Amino acid sequence: MSNRFLVGVIAVLISLIIGLGLFWKPELTPPPAAVSTLPPGGDFLLQSADGPVALSSYRGSLSILNFGYSYCPDICPTNLTVLGAAMAQLEPEERKKLAVFFISVDPRRDTPEHLKTYVQFFDPQIIGLTGTPAEIAELAGRYGVYYAEQPAEMAGDGYAVDHSADSYIVGADGRLLARMAHGTPPEQVLALIRQYMQTS
Amino acid sequence: MKRLSVLFAALSLSGAVFAGAADFVVVHEPYVRLAPPNAQASAAFMVLKNGSDREIKLVKADNPASKFTELHTHINDNGVMRMRQVPDIVIPAKGEAMLKPGGLHVMLINMKAPLSEGQVVPFTLTFDDGSSKQVEVKVMKMMPAAMPMKHVH
Repeated sequence: MSNRFLVGVIAVLISLIIGLGLFWKPELTPPPAAVSTLPPGGDFLLQSADGPVALSSYRGSLSILNFGYSYCPDICPTNLTVLGAAMAQLEPEERKKLAVFFISVDPRRDTPEHLKTYVQFFDPQIIGLTGTPAEIAELAGRYGVYYAEQPAEMAGDGYAVDHSADSYIVGADGRLLARMAHGTPPEQVLALIRQYMQTS
Repeated sequence: MKRLSVLFAALSLSGAVFAGAADFVVVHEPYVRLAPPNAQASAAFMVLKNGSDREIKLVKADNPASKFTELHTHINDNGVMRMRQVPDIVIPAKGEAMLKPGGLHVMLINMKAPLSEGQVVPFTLTFDDGSSKQVEVKVMKMMPAAMPMKHVH
């Protein structure tokens, strides 16, 4: 009786070992990258309703860049509402050290004047910018922003523009510091603004 | 006279049997997002609940505030938001369809006049059986608290 029991145990053990050898393939996944690489970023010279705007003239300020277009019914207003809500929490002293730019990826339709009215609805301090299609394309490339017109997608004279919905934080020295995903809650945006104001 | 009442009874019975899809759809928390005064587009969001035990499709929406009204969704393709028109929005049997920022929405294209906060826009929702429903939708300023939570890169 105990002999048969022992044989049984040994059989189970052997089959376990064989089974492990045959089927257990530990996955050798590489460790996740500690820091996601950021695109090069860099300066721009674009047009606002109040004249040309160079990012280089905002050295000493923290800058936030958001790319979008005024025909955008949902994603861009959400981004701008979040930015506006975070900005509303800032102290006047902090506001003085912050610049927020909404850069059009729809330069065919968005004029500087139109953008000004559009962005000021969310916060009077947001600056709406546009440029020639070539200038926008070159800048978007440096910030890793993808955009593409979808002409057949909408009725009337409308067309949608597929676009990256992230925002970019540029330090007081002009260096790209971080990328904020679409949907980052305002309190987190506020915390990031304060964090980078202290460190950059 | 007797035949007439039989006819009426038959008619009212058929009415009950062939109740339209619209009768089974309840619209919860609808709102139109208040857009900047010069915006050419905006969106309406709502939760559509289907009380019937068969699938219902929203196939069309209409409103007098914009020249065009379309059903849209967003596809988040690695951080690139791609807005696309959809032929219909499925409301599962005894289930719901959620129209919310970043996803399904009724898009208002080419506004006839700027929207104002508190303004009521009557929407006509049409379903796949041809039945339709009127919904009074208020224009509301977006509250950031209602936004989707997501991580930061």
